[in-house]
Formats: sequence, C-alpha cells, structure tokens
Amino acid sequence: MQAATREKIDSLFERYPQKRGALLPALYLVQAEQGFVDQVQAREVAQLFEITPVEVWEVLTFYNMFYTTPQGRHQVYFCANLPCSLRGGRSLLKTVEAHLGIHAGQTTPDGRITLGHEECLGSCGTAPIMRVDGSYHENLDAEAARRIIDALE
Amino acid sequence: MITAPHVTGYLSEHYGDDAYRTVAGYEARGGFAGLSQALAMQPQEVIETVKSSGLRGRGGAGFTTGLKWSFMPERSDRVKVLVCNADESEPGSFKDRLIMERAPLQVLEGILIAAWATGAERTFIYVRGEYQICIARLEEAVAECRERGYLGANVANKRGFAHDVVVHSGAGAYICGEETGLLESLEGKKGQPRNKPPFPAQHGAFGLPTTVNNVETFAHVPFILERGVDWFRQSGTEKSPGTTLFGVSGHVERPGLFELPLGTPLSEILDLAGGVAGGRALKAVIPGGMSMPVISPSEIGVRMAEEFLSEIGTHLGTGGVMVMDETTCMVRVACVISYFFRDESCGQCTQCREGTAWIHKVCERIERGRGSAADLEVLADVPGLMEGQTICAFADAAAWPIQGLMRRFRPDFEAHIQAEKCPFPGSFEL
Amino acid sequence: MPQITIDGIEYEVDEGKTVLQAIDDLGLLMTEVDIPHYCWHPKLSIDGSCRLCQVEIEGMPKLQIACNTAVRDGMVVRTRNERVEQARQGVMELLLVNHPLDCPICDQAGECKLQDYAFDYGVKHARSDEPRRPAKKATSLGPTILFDQERCILCRRCVRFCREIPKTGELGVFERGDESLLEVFPGSELDNDYSMNVADLCPVGALTTKDFRFKIRVWFLDDVDSVCNQCSNGCNVSASLSNNRVYRYVPRRNDAVNDTWMCDSGRLSYKTIAEGRLERARVRGKPTEYRSAMKAAGAALRAARETGGRIVCVASPFTPNEDLFVLRELIEALGGESGGFTVPTGAADEILIKAEKAPNAAGARALGFAESPAALGPAAVAIVLGHSTPAAALAQVELRILIDTHESELAADAQIVLPARSFAEREGSFTNHAGRVQRFAALVEPHFEAWAEGEVLRQLAAAAGLEGWAARFDPRAAGKRLAESVPAFAGIDLDTVGDQGLELQ
Repeated sequence: MQAATREKIDSLFERYPQKRGALLPALYLVQAEQGFVDQVQAREVAQLFEITPVEVWEVLTFYNMFYTTPQGRHQVYFCANLPCSLRGGRSLLKTVEAHLGIHAGQTTPDGRITLGHEECLGSCGTAPIMRVDGSYHENLDAEAARRIIDALE
Repeated sequence: MITAPHVTGYLSEHYGDDAYRTVAGYEARGGFAGLSQALAMQPQEVIETVKSSGLRGRGGAGFTTGLKWSFMPERSDRVKVLVCNADESEPGSFKDRLIMERAPLQVLEGILIAAWATGAERTFIYVRGEYQICIARLEEAVAECRERGYLGANVANKRGFAHDVVVHSGAGAYICGEETGLLESLEGKKGQPRNKPPFPAQHGAFGLPTTVNNVETFAHVPFILERGVDWFRQSGTEKSPGTTLFGVSGHVERPGLFELPLGTPLSEILDLAGGVAGGRALKAVIPGGMSMPVISPSEIGVRMAEEFLSEIGTHLGTGGVMVMDETTCMVRVACVISYFFRDESCGQCTQCREGTAWIHKVCERIERGRGSAADLEVLADVPGLMEGQTICAFADAAAWPIQGLMRRFRPDFEAHIQAEKCPFPGSFEL
Repeated sequence: MPQITIDGIEYEVDEGKTVLQAIDDLGLLMTEVDIPHYCWHPKLSIDGSCRLCQVEIEGMPKLQIACNTAVRDGMVVRTRNERVEQARQGVMELLLVNHPLDCPICDQAGECKLQDYAFDYGVKHARSDEPRRPAKKATSLGPTILFDQERCILCRRCVRFCREIPKTGELGVFERGDESLLEVFPGSELDNDYSMNVADLCPVGALTTKDFRFKIRVWFLDDVDSVCNQCSNGCNVSASLSNNRVYRYVPRRNDAVNDTWMCDSGRLSYKTIAEGRLERARVRGKPTEYRSAMKAAGAALRAARETGGRIVCVASPFTPNEDLFVLRELIEALGGESGGFTVPTGAADEILIKAEKAPNAAGARALGFAESPAALGPAAVAIVLGHSTPAAALAQVELRILIDTHESELAADAQIVLPARSFAEREGSFTNHAGRVQRFAALVEPHFEAWAEGEVLRQLAAAAGLEGWAARFDPRAAGKRLAESVPAFAGIDLDTVGDQGLELQ
C-alpha cells in the first residue's frame, strides 16, 4: 500500500463512529493503485483496521465492484437485466464479445479490456447501457458501442 | 442521461435547470422554505405534520414516514443518526438517480428536516457505487451547504441544531438496498441483513438509534412542510398521497420518468409513454420494479397505488413499470429475473441461497427445451418455501415474480416443454 | 419468571432468553421439545440463518425462528403443526438440493444432523436433478481439519467459533449467494489451540478432524464419560470406545468447566492412554513378575521400619483423589512422611488451558499434601507416585519404589517399578483448579498387569506386614472414607458428584 493511500485512509476514519465504517471507501482507494486488491494489500488493510485478513477478504469477494485478481486497463460492463435485455442489451453484449473475441468475464489478451455483464444500473429509461470505467453510455446501439470500445487505449 | 421527467410535478418542476443544484439557485426556486418552516416548529410537531400528511416511503415497502420517525427514541444518551438509502438497485427503477443528479439539495433539505424532527446529529447517504455522478453531485451539494451554513453547527442559524452529512459509496450489491443490509455495509461489513429485533430505531448504524429513508421520500418532505398537509393530500389517494416518479422501461415508445399522482391508472402512464413500441400488442407489465408480480394486459386499468395493486396480487414497489410486448418469451423473462436474484442473494438464509439458484437452473433448462411437467411443480412450490421465511424480504422479492409468472403465464412454460424448445423465436435475446 | 406454553405444556423460563435458549436451559431441547436447528449453538452468538428452528407463535402472522425470539410471559408456541412441519421440510429439501448424499462414504454418517433431520422430517432428497454446485473435496484447512465443501450447509458455526472463542478468526465465508464458500484467508491456515472444536460444531460432514477421519464408523463406538487429565481445568469429555480402545475424545458439555469445548492437545491426549506405558514390573532395571517386585518392595519397607529408617511417600497431581487418600492412610500406617508433590507447569490462556499441567493438583492440596521441597533429603525408602517429581529431589534416597503409568526418567532410575493403571483404566475422581471434583469412568482394560495406585499402595502395605490392609482397594469405598475424614470433601464422593461434578466445601 502506498503512503499516499494510507494517508487518505487515515483521513477517512473521522467520518464514521467506528473505524470499520471506512473500510469500503478505503478498499476503493487501495484498489485504485493497481485495479484490484491483492493479498498483501488485504493484510495491510486488515492491520490498519484492526480486523482479520479474512474479514477483509469476505468484504472484497462479497461486492461486485471490488476485484481480487488483475483486471484489464478498461472495464466494459453491460447491464443484462430485464429493462436492458428487452431493449437489446444482451444482443449488444454478444456483438461486443464477437468484436473483442472474448466472453463476458474475460480480459483481452493484450490486457486492454475486461468485459462483463452486471445487474441493473438504473438506466432503464435510457436502455441499453454500457458502463466503461465508471462512465455510463446510454441509449446505445452496436455501432456506438464498437466506436467507444475501439477508442479505448 | 435523463435530465428531467417527461411529465413533471412539484418535485421535478426544476429538474431541467442546472442552477437548481446550487444553493442560490435552489433558494431562488423556493428551496429551503420547508426547512425554515420546520425550524419554526417543535420537532414533535414536525413529526406530527409528516405523519398526518400520510407520506409513505418511496423505497418499495411504502411504510408511513412520519410513523417511522416517531420510532426514534426522543431522548437518548447516544448520538442518533439518519441514513438516506440511495442504493437504488431495483431493476426498473431509476428515479432516485435523477433526483440525486438533478436535485441533490432537495434530498439534503429533506434530511435536515428529518434531523430536526428526530434529533439526529449525522446522516449517512449510502449511494450505490455505480452512481458516480450522484455521488459527485451530492458531495458538491454537501460542501456548499457546509459553506453556507446549511450543515455544521447551528444549521440555518438555528442555535444548537448541528448536523453533518457523509456521502458513502456502496460497492455493488443489491441486498444493500435492504435497510439492515445497508447498515451492515455502512459499517464496513458484508451487506447481510440483520435479524430483527432489534430494529434500527434502537440499534441501527454502528449500534446507534437510526432512521433509514429512501432518497425520494426525503425529497417530498420539504414540500409538505412548505405547503402544508392539505396541499399534499390534494394529489394522490387517501391512503397514498402525493406524487411519485414512475419509471417506464421496456417495450414502450417513450421510456423515461413521469411524475404523476399516486393512484394514476397504469393505462394512462402507458399512454404517456407512447404506448407499446412499434404498435405491437402488449403482453405483460411488471408494475413496481422487478420484485413485484407481473400482470396481464387485461389488468392495466389498475390505479397505481399499493391499495389497488395489492388487490390484484401485485405491489407498487418502487413504481418501476416494465413493459413487455407480444414477442416476449415469459420463460426468458423468468430466466433473467431468477438469474438476478440468484446473483444478488446474500447467501445467508437457506431458503434464499438454495431456492434462488434452484429456480434459476430450472428456468434455464425449460428455456433450452429440456423441461418436464415436474419442473412446473418445482416452480410452483419452491417460491412458497422461500416466501416469508427468511431474515429479510429478499426471498419474498425472489419468489413473487416467479409466482406471478406461473399464475399468469404458465402456458408459456408449458409450450416450451411441449415444443422441447423456445417457441418464441422473435423474443429478446438471452 | 415468565410462563410459556409449548405444544400445550406450560414451562417456567428465565426472563430475557430466547425460546430456544430457554428450552435448552431447561434441558429439554430435542428430548421433550423438538425444535431442530443448525446454525444455533448454545455457546455461540445467534446467527438466525438456517431457518430450521421456525415455530408458530400465537399472535404473530409469520413463523418465527425460535433462536431469536425472546420469551414473553403468556407466549404460546407451537412446534408440531402442519405449517411448522412444512417449513422444516422446505428447509430440509433446499439444503439437500446441493448435498451429495454421499453418506456411505461420509465420516459423519451416524452422527450427522442433516441425515438425522432428513430422516425425522421425511425429506430424503430434493426434487432436483440439476447438477450440483461445483465444490472442493477434502481440502486441508490446517494441521487438524479437512473440509468437504460439497457437504457444507453454511451454518457458520465454525466461523463464529473462531471469532468468538479462540478469537483467532481464521474462517470466513467468501463470495455470496449460492457461490458462498467457507474458507481461510488465501495462503493461511486454520491453526489455533482449539481448532478441532469446529469438527464437533459442524452439524454435517463438512469439517472432520484429520485425526479421527476414516478411523471407524461411529455406530461401532460407545461413548463413556470421562475427564481430560492434561491440565488442571479438567475439561469434561466423552470418550469413544470400541474393542477396548479409545478412538477419540469429544468435549462433553459442562457449563461450569468447559462449556462445550476442549483444547486440541487435550483432545489428542487419548493417545497417551496406549502410548509409552510401563507394562512390566521391574526390580533394578530387570523385568519381573509383579508379585516378585511387590515382595522386594515389601521387604525393603519392613527393613526400613525395623531399622527406623526414614520412609518418604511422594504424591502425584495425576493420582485420583481416592488413591491420594489411601496414600495418606499408608503414610500414617507406615509411620512415614509425606514428600509432597510436584506439578508440571506450562503455557496457559484465558479460555480453558491452565498452567498446571496435571488434573488433580487441587485435590492433592485439599488432601493436605504440600508442594515438594527441592530435595527430599536422605531417606531409606521413597514410595513415589507418578513421575512429575524431579529425579534430583530423590537423589539421597537409598531405595526408590516407583508406582507409575508411563516410562520416564524416574522409572529408569527407580530400583523397584510397579506399573499402575492410568485414570482411563479405572474409575475415580480429580479435583480441578476451581475445586470441582469430577468423576471419570474406566474406559479400557490394560493388556498387562497393572493396578490402580490405591491398590498398589494397599499391596505394598500388606507386603510390608501392616495389619488391616487385606481388603482390595475400591475407589468408591476409599472415596467414602475420604468424604468422612476430610471436611472439604464432605458429602462428595463418586456416588454423589454426578456427571457435572461438585465443588469442594
């Protein structure tokens, strides 16, 4: 864990009546270092929060937005839930799978993109949606999806 | 991105206006008038006002807000807290996102009124992790409120009324929308719901007395204080007063949000959304977010309030209306729904952990044409083993849609078993 | 005290308890009142997730879990109606959806709650032909425990145990939903002084001890009450026996002593019953008949008495109360002196493990034995029980008669060695650190000639020509004499202590 990350985490503690409240925000900060949280970092976080490493690992593996294995430089996620599916979300994902030559849950061999599907993102009125590194791309069609993905470095 | 509902009302009148997100712009459009009204009253009077307004929570369960506030211990040697449930994750719901993106100060004003009423010193706004823009907008609003004296010591110059707000990001788990799953998550744990009792008002976030309200619920509160109970009760129904933001998605011409009085007929909402897309016929509607049982075209005359929807075996939930046209394979719908609940079950209770996975596997197999009559018995029975028997209502939410589908669209399932394949080639792709 | 009615019968229960706790406190759970349960355990926090203990409570629309429902005066509980039965059957069926039903090759078979309840509630399997969730088989969680994930029902008793009792917290449940997986932190192990308790806690065959796994089918075992002799805590155990052999210890509940736990080293100490034993009497290093060794010892004692030589008798904190009392009687009869006793010590914790590594130091003290001096000084004969006395303390003794169970430095050094039965080979009692007198039963018969220490002492007395030592040692009779002569033991003997022990007066 970098010193700067640690300092940021230290400043979070006062926001919560108990130290542990800062765990999720802290894990985001640690994850920002290399795109996932490894075992060494998890142990460091555990020490900082005075909890066991297994408790940190439980939290990391419970939530979709934390990763314990390396991810691609960009994360591309499609909502596969009903409102998006009704408007072609899953078809779109299949197109992108073919385009990138990988399946959802995989990373391109060059480490550029990790592709996945996730649950409802709250864009039902602007479906289908693709989430790229935290940004929403809504009312999407296959061509726009390809264009956005191809522009990723 | 949606910037305003297709139909606006008192809540969303200024949503299209960027200035509404700044304190000055908000004040200029009537903002904080409800707060000053509240601060001129005794806390108990504020609770009574909200109680008599009949405001019901907009997070899905529809509990009376004022009553919930009254559960907070009046005197407590422990700090009291509020939690704003901004973990909107119910498939088909996207209203809270709009409120936070376009009117974060409405939410904060509602929070401050609730804080005054309940004596809470701190609020945690738990926003689902994917809602990055909401988090940013709320944080901007919180920072500006601090600068302008709407947060901190002596809120709005009211001596002795201190309040602060922490915007907290979730990390991707539907179950954190459940009140106590949210509290666990806020405490830095897995979002696994708690056994009740104790209830949050006694033992909530970090063991402190806590009241949890949904984003939209907070947003309505300033208007009730500013304009009065009688005004509020003019819209909506006797049992469900006020407006709500109905979200319409799926096979309609004009999906989006519609601020309409509770009790508006579903057919009217569908008309406002331009009807079924492409002029196709309607097959099914899920009226209140994905946890709620589906209804048939013959039932769309129903008025959209809990008291009417529950009469026909479904619920208002979060008011997320999902529309399916004649091409739709209801077994595929069952696959999507059951996958979601399997994926999002927290895994604590036996019935939920095992039942959601079992139902999903059976649905998938039927869709592949490998189902049997015995599978229909399983789909008819297993939801009953789950419903009402677990720590939280998630298992109910997983059971109800399957029960609804089996009740109203069993022929779709039977057709798959008979044809040994999906007989709806034109349906949305799985 | 609140009155509650369960299936038409009224019970008076403690205030502030949950239904399940209250019934358990009355000792009626699963005997008179049938409320099956997996995640609930009387000594762990409430989890409320298995949902098997649902009961109907009058006035409440939904079924409630008995483990988390507080008793209320006038509460009416029903555990037997159709609704409750259906809910139980539902839970059982759902638990079996992913269960391998591999009872024929599962070590838990015969003491498996999944098997028992499936049988009791008439659900032998689930109506599911779906492929079961992929699961890890027989993975090692640490030095003592193996994990078969496919059998795990995720009751989290083991997780709570590690967090709440040893507070080591090695176990967790990763992922969520039907992918939930019991595990240790990657690369670490379940390794603490109490780790094997998780195998007892596990209601199914998911966690088994490496030590006991596949040794024997449990239905060939008889369980007999005993007490661990590895430290002064005196954890209550059930010893599982077959063919004159102890196969394992499992902790036996005693809320005043060890709750439902025991430490791993105590648990594995059943092995010491068979290992490293003194099997032959010896005279000056040479194995002999028991009778000849006894004759030689008797002659030495007679000679010492005739010449006025000093006779010292050394007690042992491993010797049961009854035998220590006989030693007291012998000292008086011989005109000898007490050489006290020595307690081996070691590490302790705040859970169960005590620093005194012997089961009966408190008994020895209560019987008036003092801690041995560093040297016992010159003496003609020493009668020494056990081997915790340092050899150096006996350096100036001309003839050492050792009565002991196991090989040791003292046994190599003593001129006369008389094998004794271990506590597992006779009945008796120990007094634990808190003064609780606890009974143990004979578990096995030695395959060599050996006698209870009290009997060896009696034979010595007879061989030394003392009068009145003709009647064979009987721990019950000795215990009665002890209770009559030592005030601390008044009213406490093998007939009165029961299976939970009694505290000294």
